[in-house]
Amino acid sequence: MSESSLLASSDMIALFTTLKMALVTTIILMIIGTPLAWYLAKMKSRYKIAIEAFVALPIVLPPTVLGFYLLIAFSPQHLPGQVWQSVTGQQLAFSFSAIVIGSVFYSLPFVVQPLQKAFEQLGDDILEAGAMLGANAVDRFFTIVLPITKASFITAASLGFAHTVGEFAIVLMIGGNISGETKVLSIALFEHVEAFNYEKAHILAASLLVGSFIVLGLIYLLNYKKPTSVKSNKSVSML
Amino acid sequence: MSRNITNTVDKNLHELDSNVLSLKFSTQFDDFTLSVNQCLSAQGITGVFGHSGSGKSTLLRLISGLESSSTGQLILNGKTLFDSAKNINIKSEKRRIGLVFQDSRLFPHLNVLQNLEYAHKRCVNKQLKVEDIIQLTQLQPLLHKKTTLLSGGEKQRVAIARAILSEPELLLLDEPLSALDNQNRALMITLLLNVQRTLNIPMLYVSHSLAEIQQLADNLLVMNQGKIEYSGAIHQIIHTLNNSQTTLQQTSLALKVNEYLPQYGLTSLQLTPDINIYLPFQKSTLNDEEVNTQTVRCYIAASDISISKSEVFDSSIVNHFQAKIVSIKKQSNTLLLTLTCSDQVFYSTVSLWSAERLSLNIDDLVYIQFKASAVHCLANIREG
Repeated sequence: MSESSLLASSDMIALFTTLKMALVTTIILMIIGTPLAWYLAKMKSRYKIAIEAFVALPIVLPPTVLGFYLLIAFSPQHLPGQVWQSVTGQQLAFSFSAIVIGSVFYSLPFVVQPLQKAFEQLGDDILEAGAMLGANAVDRFFTIVLPITKASFITAASLGFAHTVGEFAIVLMIGGNISGETKVLSIALFEHVEAFNYEKAHILAASLLVGSFIVLGLIYLLNYKKPTSVKSNKSVSML
Repeated sequence: MSRNITNTVDKNLHELDSNVLSLKFSTQFDDFTLSVNQCLSAQGITGVFGHSGSGKSTLLRLISGLESSSTGQLILNGKTLFDSAKNINIKSEKRRIGLVFQDSRLFPHLNVLQNLEYAHKRCVNKQLKVEDIIQLTQLQPLLHKKTTLLSGGEKQRVAIARAILSEPELLLLDEPLSALDNQNRALMITLLLNVQRTLNIPMLYVSHSLAEIQQLADNLLVMNQGKIEYSGAIHQIIHTLNNSQTTLQQTSLALKVNEYLPQYGLTSLQLTPDINIYLPFQKSTLNDEEVNTQTVRCYIAASDISISKSEVFDSSIVNHFQAKIVSIKKQSNTLLLTLTCSDQVFYSTVSLWSAERLSLNIDDLVYIQFKASAVHCLANIREG
């Protein structure tokens, strides 16, 4: 009895760590991803293709490859790890910050790509109209871009969040398995399976499955409204 | 350099004067060079005419600041908006210039009223009231409609109202009526004239339809291959274009209404105290209190005016009066005759055979005749 509640509380800690990691990662991703997506959508620079390919890498690359290089970079022997340590006084590898940074790289395409597509579709015409009415760039972003591409922002944030919740290999490689710091749900699940504790594994696996399904379902529901409303517009204007 | 037919603006005064738009642009684009050096009166409506690719839309984009010129200078009402030498380039949103686009570009996430309020909120002066502009542009029934549900004409009405509410010092219109049918175009022309009369906003009106510009503008710029070819008073420039044969050869008129004759389906305009010109009855331009002061703009294609040595009374053709031939110009297989009656110039094209049969000479007094339906105005404007 006492043993099972203890384990459950460690799972609760893993759930909390996971949600915290996903939330912090999503916020950082939205802050970094929005200007990056804007740059990729609007600029005609020759570096664009290289940046696009770099952003998309985590989609095709085994997470262990990304995890391996990040682990090396985060180690106190290398510059990024050294800089981090001299600024914060703490080691970067095997910390919560490390798994957040890893997650940001890992989930970047899931945020940047929907936003980039939305900004490309939005075009410049409507923004020029805003400028001619006296709206400056910041004003145009918040009063024109954001409301029109709202659905894509929600999609990007949800995908970034859900994808971060589901990551495993990168966290394992650069975060290890420290309860309350870097031990996330997917790692807790792996631990239960290794210990042949299938009942607890089932509970975690099923809740991840259902949770992810609900998030994706909400995204599709949100994006489904758009075509139906366009359809009804057409039928009215044809009358 | 452009040929100034009427030099209304003293170029040396432009930096001090208000109501002056001074343009100097020289810039290379992918496929053409735009080179303009012109002082315009920023009053009334100035038409900018040119064929596709002549650079007229680019000129508007340079004035609005949406496009940048490599070298040049732009001064509106004494305020420098762009000067490449002094490294001045005021952003579009700070220029106080309005632009109505060909494709209206309404905000799809806002309804009609919200689109109008968007402009009003960002306007510095706020002299105009949203309600007054709604009334002026007759938008009351549409206020809460989604912009995606509007017709082409309605969209442009909203776009014009929205641009007016930003209270620009100069309103640019980039082919605003080109996507509309003839009936809607006639309504919009009436609306624009009404807006101009009520609010007195100077407008630069770009179009590839000379007929549209003929109805609206006081002055006309003609652009060709990135340069201003002609500039001056509207009727004179249109008549000058008759010699280039690139547009419909026509007589452009602005005459006071003499009488409305709805029972005959005609309106008569006063050419001289003794001579009236009849044209089809124009209901859409009728405004009771203005009947006797109203001026109607119309044009007659040179090919619709015929010449007779004697006046023909027993004919269905209602317009016939004496005029003097002042010039005869041979074109490929016709003659372009320039005639005057009182102070008004008329243009007529006749075949070489007719010219030979009638043995027409300069200074001859002849009779010109044309049907009422050959006089085009608003609703029945025809492309040149």
